[in-house]
Parts: sequence; C-alpha cells; structure tokens
Amino acid sequence: MAIPDKNEPGSSLLQIQDLNVIYKTDEATVYAVNGISFELGRKETIGLVGETGAGKTTTALAIMRLLPEETGFIKGGEIRFQGEDLVKKSQPDMREIRGAKISMIFQDPMTSLNPIMPVGDQILESLEIHNSENLSKEDLNKRVDELLSLVGILPQRKKDFPHQFSGGMKQRIVIAIALACRPELLIADEPTTALDVTIQAQVLELMRELKEKLGTSMIMITHDLGVVAETCDKVAIMYAGRIVEAGSAEDVFEGEKHHPYTVGLFGSIPNLEEETDRLHPIDGLMPDPTDLPPGCPFHPRCKQCMDICREKMPEFYTSGEHRIACHLYTKGD
Amino acid sequence: MEPLIRTVNLKKYFDVSGGKLHAVDDVNITIPKGKTLGVVGESGCGKSTLGRTVLRLIEPTSGEVYFEGENITKASRGELKELRKKMQIIFQDPFSSLNPRMSVFDLIAEPLVTHHIYKHRADLTDRILELMEEVGLAERYVNSYPHEMDGGRRQRVGVARALALGPEFIVCDEPVSALDVSIQAQILNLLMDLQDNLGLTYMFITHDLSVVKHISDEIAVMYLGQCVEHCPTKELFANPMHPYTKALLSAIPVPKLRKNFTRKIIRGEVSTPIDPKPGCRFASRCDYCQAGCTGSDIPLKEYSPGHYVACPHCVELMEKKE
Ligand SMILES: Nc1ncnc2c1ncn2[C@@H]1O[C@H](COP(=O)(O)OP(=O)(O)OP(=O)(O)O)[C@@H](O)[C@H]1O
Ligand SMILES: Nc1ncnc2c1ncn2[C@@H]1O[C@H](COP(=O)(O)OP(=O)(O)OP(=O)(O)O)[C@@H](O)[C@H]1O
Ligand SMILES: [Mg+2]
Ligand SMILES: [Mg+2]
Repeated sequence: MAIPDKNEPGSSLLQIQDLNVIYKTDEATVYAVNGISFELGRKETIGLVGETGAGKTTTALAIMRLLPEETGFIKGGEIRFQGEDLVKKSQPDMREIRGAKISMIFQDPMTSLNPIMPVGDQILESLEIHNSENLSKEDLNKRVDELLSLVGILPQRKKDFPHQFSGGMKQRIVIAIALACRPELLIADEPTTALDVTIQAQVLELMRELKEKLGTSMIMITHDLGVVAETCDKVAIMYAGRIVEAGSAEDVFEGEKHHPYTVGLFGSIPNLEEETDRLHPIDGLMPDPTDLPPGCPFHPRCKQCMDICREKMPEFYTSGEHRIACHLYTKGD
Repeated sequence: MEPLIRTVNLKKYFDVSGGKLHAVDDVNITIPKGKTLGVVGESGCGKSTLGRTVLRLIEPTSGEVYFEGENITKASRGELKELRKKMQIIFQDPFSSLNPRMSVFDLIAEPLVTHHIYKHRADLTDRILELMEEVGLAERYVNSYPHEMDGGRRQRVGVARALALGPEFIVCDEPVSALDVSIQAQILNLLMDLQDNLGLTYMFITHDLSVVKHISDEIAVMYLGQCVEHCPTKELFANPMHPYTKALLSAIPVPKLRKNFTRKIIRGEVSTPIDPKPGCRFASRCDYCQAGCTGSDIPLKEYSPGHYVACPHCVELMEKKE
C-alpha cells in the first residue's frame, strides 16, 4: 500500500467513480444508482441526502458489497478504498475489510442485532475482535459500560435482550457496536432517525469525537438537513440515483446557486417559527426507477423546467468544489 | 362530552434482568373524538408502550382504558376482536412492520381477510384498490413486495392497512420518523386529510416536536414513563413550563450552518426506570433541581386553564426568565 500521506487529514480515502447499480426483479430492472461520483478524505464526513428511493442505501450497500446476491448488481464504475477497487474484491477479502476497516450502521437496527444474545455481550464481542491494545477482559467490560453510557443506556441493562429495548434504544446499541469497531470508514444509514433531539445531540457529539480522536471518515446518510449542517464537511444531494448537487457544506447551505431540487428540499422542512397548517412538500413523486424519464430526472416536478430539460441530461456546472447538474446554469455553454 | 379515549392511572411494568421496569407509570390522558393528541419524549421514555397498552396490544399492569366511555381494560378476546376494527396502529418502521414475503395486495388484504369482511374476491380487490388510491399508492404497486419499494411507499402501505377496517382511532407510532422531509410532509398531509374526511382520532407518537406541532391539538410530554407536561399545542410552544420540555425545544437541530456550534446537551445521569425512587425523575439532569424535587412524587398541577405541569418550581422559573 503505497499511498504516501496516508494519515494526513483530507488525503483521499474513498473515491467513487461513475458507480451504477441495478436491481433485477421478476418484473423489471430498477435503475437505483446511475453514475454517481464522489470523493471522501480522511477525517471527512460527507452527507448523502435525498428523498426516499434516491439510492442512498443502495450506494452504501455497494460500497460494503452487501447488495442482495440474487438481485443487486454493480453495473459499472469504481469504488476505490485506500487505492484499491472494492468492486474487484472477492467476498472473503471483503469480509475482512468489513470487519476491520469499514463498518456500517444499518437503517434497520435488527439487521445487525442478534435477538438471542444480551446486548452487552454483543458489544463485548465486537470489542474483542478489534482489541489491538490487548486489553484485559475486565477493561473490555468497563469499555462496554462506557459505550452504553455514551449512547444514553444504563449499563445495568447490559444483560437484557434486544426485544426488551425501545426502537431508539436498539438503534443506539447498534451505534455502540459500530463505534466499538473503530473503523476507518463508518457508513451511517439514518443513524439518528429514531432518536429525540437530546439523545441525537449526544450521539452526534460522540461521532464527532470519533472523527477527532481516531480520524474516522464517515458517510452520513440522512434526510435531516439539520443533522447534516451539524456534522458534515461535504454534502451530496441525490435524486433518482444521481447526484444533482454536491459541494462543501458551505456551498450547499449558503451558496448562491442551487439545484431546484435542493431548493425544494429545504423548502419542505417544517418550520417551528412559522404558523402553517399545511406543509410544503415538493409536488409529485420521484420517477419510477424502472422507467426513468428522458432528460433531467427531476424535470417532471421542476417549477423551472425548460424544453431542453425534457431531452438532455444536464452536465455539471462547477464552481470550485460546488457541482450542480442543471441546465439553468449550463445553458450558456 | 365523553372523550373517545381515556386512560386512568395506566401502568405498565416489565420484568427485566435488574428488576421491574416502569415503562408507563400512572398516565392519565384523554383524547376527544376527531382530535389528535401528540405524545413526545425521549427515546425509551415509554411512548410506544403507552400506545400499545391503550390498544390492548400489551396488557396493562394496572389502571384502566376507556373507549367511547366503555372500560375496555377487561374486554374479552371476542370483544377485543371487534375493538380491533375500531382501533388501529401505524408503526414507525416500515421495514420490520411489513412481512417481507407478502405483496402489497396481501398486506392490505390481511386485516380484511382476518375479519371476514368480504365474501367475494372481487369486492376485496375493489376495496384494496380504493384504499391504495386513498393513500396515494399507484395501482401498479399492487403486486410489489415491501423491499422493492422505498420508505415512503412502504409507509403508505402501512397507512392503507390501518385504514382497511374503517377505524375510528389510530395510534400513529412515529409514522414519519424514518422518512425524509418531503415525504414526511406528504404523509402528514395525508394523515390530516384522512382525519378531516373520515373523522379519525389520532394518538400521534413522535420524538420530533416540529412534526407534532403541525398535526396535534394537544401535546403530552413524557419523561421516564410519566407525563410531565400536558397542554394545547400552541400553548406548549408559546409557554413551555417543565424544564425538560424547555430542553427538548432548545435542542432541535436547525438546517443552517453555525460555526463551532454544539447543541446544548442535557448533562447528568439519566435516572433509572427500574424500580425508580419517588420524586421527579428528571431531577438528576435538571439545572433547577431543589430540595423539594426528590423524596416524594410530583403530581401534575393545572397552572393555567388546560396547562398541566409536574414541576413545583415551574412558575418561579418562568418569572426568573422575564
Ligand atoms: N432489493 C431490491 N429489489 C428491488 N428494488 C430495490 C431493492 N432495494 C431497493 N430497491 C429500489 O431501489 C431504489 C433505491 O432504493 P434505496 O433503498 O437505495 O433508496 P434510499 O435512498 O436509501 O431510500 P430511503 O430513504 O427510503 O431509505 C428504490 O426505488 C427502491 O425501491
Ligand atoms: N417487551 C419489553 N420487555 C422489557 N422492557 C421493555 C419491553 N418493551 C419496552 N421495554 C422498556 O420500556 C421502556 C419504554 O420503551 P418504549 O418502547 O415504550 O419507548 P419509546 O418511548 O417508544 O422509545 P423510542 O422513542 O426509542 O421508540 C424502555 O426502557 C424499554 O427498554
Ligand atoms: Mg435507505
Ligand atoms: Mg417507540
């Protein structure tokens, strides 16, 4: 592994280039991820944001190489992790990488919890696997208590089983397990959706610490732009399997130009200060991923749709790191 | 007028390795017909347990539940089966709440088939398509499976299932938490429209105050199994009185970049819900904790019409602020 400045913050850890993923079901082919590219440096956090069905989880599963065997396929592109293309790795190699270097917090906590093992033992198990400091059993047990407290669960409950916890508590236990692994890349798929704001703040602080202390890079999949604002260095907005806008957090939150979809997304957030009876979702639904429209995938819902948008897929308009795939900004060229 | 739902000193204790866990401890709520009660509070405070106990999906340890004035706490199996038609639940988790091996058709058909509502397959099919339309699910998804759909569409299936038997009361247990804002707004609007059209009564469980603000008439704030504040929604946002409610309101993340910003985190040990000591359960984390806060339980008290708070010092705190 001859990557020179390997531990330098910001040096590249993950490069995704033109990734395409499909699902083949009995009836149709689902075009879930359609040519996305992004890069993540060490100690960096990128937020993947987008409506349900945008392809966020699919992207994460592709990186982990955990797409459903019979139906999910990477159709093209590269996923370079520490310089090596994960797409070309064998499953046994991937198992090792998943154990040691990349870990994922799944959207559904029960995917990663063993229903018949006390939760404390599950955290302990993952600490034991990653025990590079050769801590004694006693110290490891202390660490279990610490991790549980950190996610707001009383250590005295470590002998209880997953079904004895609430939804949000299960999610927190999964987070504790993922953190116990001390991965280099942590993919968190909606890690705080079931958590109230006070516990969410605690968990996010914990993740920030992990980043500072261990230099962990993170992909934060979330629909909560508030969480993105607090934790992410970079943001990629996904729509129908594509990145429609990406850039630094400043670009996406404070930049002048935006993709109309990004504007809609910000507009649909319930506003606590405002008195309204109705909320303002973006009209219409995401297109059917088995039958994507020609041109820009957002055009059927776009208030600023032009003729060209119905015919031609827009290229990226770029300004520094900020990319926007919209004809509004590229039509001059 | 008799409220549609009323609980009296409702309790649910679970046996866990460390003792008796007080998940719901002496909760009294009422929900008038056609209205929505929002139930908020931190993860693990007992919201889902309260919802399920009200529906008798879980047996209460003690206390009573009234539905249309009738005590249903001791309802027999047969009576419960009839009640199920009137009381439904929508779950948070569109992943684990839908059987992955059942198609949309079968999922929506299940409650109708269980209750033998239709004799003819054609009537069943009509009703299913009608329900799909009602919840905004395109007909072509009728043969899809849950894993082939995104979270928003899965949740529409959950809503259609809950509506199938024409219920009067629905417990919505975090129905939008797993969804992105835009779809959240669509589902919330759907639930509000359905309420208007069908006269439904909701108990809306969430940890997200910005969501509950739009849909609830009244809000009950729970902390470790107890209701600590209860009042009309507008009043809660204008005059939050319990220190825990205030902390909840101030911790909402804002979709704006704020340099070097960290949200206020409630510090201090969480007290245990297992065989808890008498006294305010928030005391150990409360900045304003005083001598009278521990030792004996603190009941809800009406401070202004319809505004109930379980904090002996909340009035002083309000004055101090001004
Ligand atoms: N196993 C599968 N078989 C068929 N289609 C699938 C499968 N998994 C996902 N899809 C489809 O692929 C598309 C992308 O799904 P994905 O789960 O990646 O979205 P997401 O952005 O994570 O959405 P959410 O916010 O709901 O989690 C969706 O249209 C979805 O229905
Ligand atoms: N079957 C059970 N056995 C033992 N304890 C349980 C059981 N179900 C819930 N509990 C406990 O009861 C308490 C309340 O859980 P509940 O699921 O009602 O919380 P909640 O407010 O819905 O939380 P969340 O927001 O995370 O869903 C928790 O401490 C939980 O561990
Ligand atoms: Mg997902
Ligand atoms: Mg719950």
